[in-house]
Amino acid sequence: MSQKLVYVCEGGDCTERGSGDLFEKMRELLLARDPEEAQVRVRRYPCFGGCEVAINVTVYPDKIFYSQVTPEDLPEIVENLLGDAAPVERLTGAVQPDVEEMVWMLLDSPY
Amino acid sequence: MSQVDLEARIPNNVGLREDKRLLRALEKWQPAFIDWWKDTGPSDFNADQIYLRTAIGVGKGGWAHFDYVKMPDYRWGIFLADPVVDRKIHFGDHIGESIWNDVPGEMRNRLRRLIVTQGDTEPASVEQQRLLGHTAPSLYDMRSLFQVNAEEGRHLWAMVYLLHSYFGADGRDEADALLERRSGDEDSPRILEAFNKPITTWLDFFCFTTFTDRDGKYQLAALAESSFDPLARTTQFMLTEEAYHMQTGENGVGRIIHRCAELMHAGEDPRKVGAIPLDIVQRYINEWASASMDLFGGEDSTNAAESFASGLKGRYREGDGIYKDPKALEHSYKAEVPEGDHMVEKEIPLRRAMNALLLDSYVADCQRIVSRWNRDLERQQIDFRIVLPSKRFNRHQGIYSSACFTPQGELVDAEAWNSQREVWLPSQADRDYVESCMVAVREPGKFANWISPPPRGVNDQPLDFEFVKFH
Ligand code: FES
Ligand SMILES: [Fe+2]
Ligand SMILES: [Fe+2]
Repeated sequence: MSQKLVYVCEGGDCTERGSGDLFEKMRELLLARDPEEAQVRVRRYPCFGGCEVAINVTVYPDKIFYSQVTPEDLPEIVENLLGDAAPVERLTGAVQPDVEEMVWMLLDSPY
Repeated sequence: MSQVDLEARIPNNVGLREDKRLLRALEKWQPAFIDWWKDTGPSDFNADQIYLRTAIGVGKGGWAHFDYVKMPDYRWGIFLADPVVDRKIHFGDHIGESIWNDVPGEMRNRLRRLIVTQGDTEPASVEQQRLLGHTAPSLYDMRSLFQVNAEEGRHLWAMVYLLHSYFGADGRDEADALLERRSGDEDSPRILEAFNKPITTWLDFFCFTTFTDRDGKYQLAALAESSFDPLARTTQFMLTEEAYHMQTGENGVGRIIHRCAELMHAGEDPRKVGAIPLDIVQRYINEWASASMDLFGGEDSTNAAESFASGLKGRYREGDGIYKDPKALEHSYKAEVPEGDHMVEKEIPLRRAMNALLLDSYVADCQRIVSRWNRDLERQQIDFRIVLPSKRFNRHQGIYSSACFTPQGELVDAEAWNSQREVWLPSQADRDYVESCMVAVREPGKFANWISPPPRGVNDQPLDFEFVKFH
């Protein structure tokens, strides 16, 4: 799968912190540069289990787990998704490693 | 985005105003629902003001609204996630065809059974928990209980909407029957066994929301992939609410463990001060985790294969295109199964192993929670560690149900198992003790001694907020 998948959490805590608007904005930014979703698709995800560091956004298969994301961070994240920029380091590593592992485990199927 | 009609008697985003026939049918069902709630819902708190979250829309921010409400006046609504334009079937035999906005004739019975089985668990859990309010350890927890109950009521509405809209007279009968069956009733019990025993203590409630609601999460996630679009969109929205229930459980058990550890650290015996010792918590976890694993059904199941093949139930996040084999015809699933006194490897064709796959995701999810609890024990310098029981332990469904296994998953004979029963599962003495800890605490900001306060109140309210106002 060459295509990337971006998930914006829509669980209770992330929603309370504005993940609905964040998702819309992310979608706008991505569609502006990749209107057919050929490279990146953005979807909602019902709670990653890292609620205390809401809002959480993940990138698969790159396995990047962003936490405490604000709308101001989105252009940088998009630059990594569609441009040559590196992942936005300062937004990673806030969530417990086993929460992160478990998210990838659920997405990495041998079948 | 779909239009949300909040003014209507039944708030909804499914255009009920335009569908007179359906509107009449649901408005007729509504009083029966309210009667059911008053009869079997949370006992004795219907006149009190509860600070509850109500779903008022889908998708974008602000689908939830907090305010004081008397439970029978709760605005139970019908909300479907927004449709995806041009969605195609993405797994099973019908891959690439258009999704269904109606029920194909040959799927009718199977689909109805799926919806009724899911729908039946929603009111069942409300009935099971009906007396818990009386022993709430705080107003904060009492509110959480009622929030969960109210949302299970809304989930019932969600399923009833599907039955009324798409299954004609049969659907209407099934919708009525959902209000007629009763948890634990001898003549007319709820469909699934785990939903027939009363939940009498808060330790049971928090284990239920951690482990049993989590089974619900995975079932809903599988249905959210359905080719029958109204079902997919309904369950998708239910998932966002379900996340709160699981958090309630995970945090609740965590707070019980935390409190016990805190007392131990201070050199106190938890038993002498009405707190719950960790070995008892472990036995409750063993019981609830194993019972919840049974809800996934058999690991080798032709029924599951058919639901997948026909496009009714997919794998977790199937629609995101993360699977290599969307027809699930090229692979098999390897499981170790008991044969006499040893284990042998068995290959199950992948389609028949759909329940097993879903169960594996569930187990990983539970493992994460247990690790979180253990991190807290470590921080408090307590040596005890909570262990998630093996998926073989104490099973009454599926490939492990024919033999006896320890919580670590070792095969043992029945005699050995029975001799350890009270080490592994709650004894009557455990239950009596836990029951004795259940004392009501109703002063805002105060908590019973067996549970720690949460870090913060709901909706950013302070902990001493009056989450319940008694009339
Ligand atoms: S609510 Fe977003 S991670 Fe839980
Ligand atoms: Fe539910
Ligand atoms: Fe639930």
